[in-house]
Amino acid sequence: MQRVKTGIKGLDEMLHGGFLPQTANLVEGAPGTGKTTLGMQFIYNGITLYDEPGIILTFEEFPQQYYRDAAAFGWDFKALEREGRLKVIMTSPEVGRLDLEQVGGMIETLTNEMGARRILVDSLSHLEKLTDDPVELRAIQYSFINALKREGLTAVLTKESPALLGAAESEESIAFVVDSYILLRYVEIESAIHKALLVLKLRGSDHAKDIRQFEITSGGIEVQAKFEGREGIMSGSPRLSMADSFVRAFVKKEKP
Amino acid sequence: MATSDDFTARLMNDMDPDLLDFVKTKVNTFIKWDLVRFFHENPNTADTVENIARYAGRNVTAVEPELNELVESGVMEIRHLDEIPVYSLTTDESMRRIVGEFIRACEDRHFRVKAVYHIIRGMR
Repeated sequence: MQRVKTGIKGLDEMLHGGFLPQTANLVEGAPGTGKTTLGMQFIYNGITLYDEPGIILTFEEFPQQYYRDAAAFGWDFKALEREGRLKVIMTSPEVGRLDLEQVGGMIETLTNEMGARRILVDSLSHLEKLTDDPVELRAIQYSFINALKREGLTAVLTKESPALLGAAESEESIAFVVDSYILLRYVEIESAIHKALLVLKLRGSDHAKDIRQFEITSGGIEVQAKFEGREGIMSGSPRLSMADSFVRAFVKKEKP
Repeated sequence: MATSDDFTARLMNDMDPDLLDFVKTKVNTFIKWDLVRFFHENPNTADTVENIARYAGRNVTAVEPELNELVESGVMEIRHLDEIPVYSLTTDESMRRIVGEFIRACEDRHFRVKAVYHIIRGMR
């Protein structure tokens, strides 16, 4: 099966090769967990490794913030824009939605002109400003995602999670609308904060079910090994598994 | 006999003629200057006047006429989505180039002083 590779070390393996083409892929996490970085890396790798031009659609951060953040990883977004392989578009949710619904809108025109194959929407949470009615919100999200697919785009959509540690209380329907769902979480282990990544859902494909550690390095996100010997990772405050508790309590540590 | 005002005017007019025209006829208020700088730094922004005013940290009443004048002078473009006016920087390459030259020139203090002089004179 054809895959849209993220090019992110460890993530494509978890996704059994990458996202499926023309799908909507949600990345949810608390502030600072790396949602936008993951999305920018998906776009940058798409352009530079797989020759797939990309669009970044931002509803809040100014494009110049993306240029600066990307430059910190050595990704020259301004140069890619000059080459016509990237566009960082800023607009509001209401205009973005109307634009996508219209024939010959800005996003449709740019997609066709650039031959864009990927899009980062940062963040989908802002569509919630358009209505207080959950039924209408789901219809808006569904229509928005379908419009991206109509344009042949594989999308990474970020979603803000209000809880810094552990799972946020949520009854939102977006998880049902998207094709894949990646959770990023802060985890406290022995008085240090680590980051965890879990692929919760990948429609139409198998995927890794374990919870992996990841780091944001100077080159972007790197997904590492799974958390060993811990339970309750996604609660934010994991505990040692029963076997590891036993070993720690009763098995003598080797002297250095 | 030349007055000090003439001398000042000559000194302040001492810049690239295209930029002088741009300052005198297009970016002739401080709000327009802010808007042009914002759209130069964020060139693919397209939004309503309410949101642009928010991005600029100003009120809609102040921003709307300035945006419309920038549209009239060809710096900005306007289109309507469901009758909602949406503003964006012009796609005209020559205008984008002069906007870029103006913003780069503004990095020079002497140029900024001259631009401020022309804007204040134009506001009288």
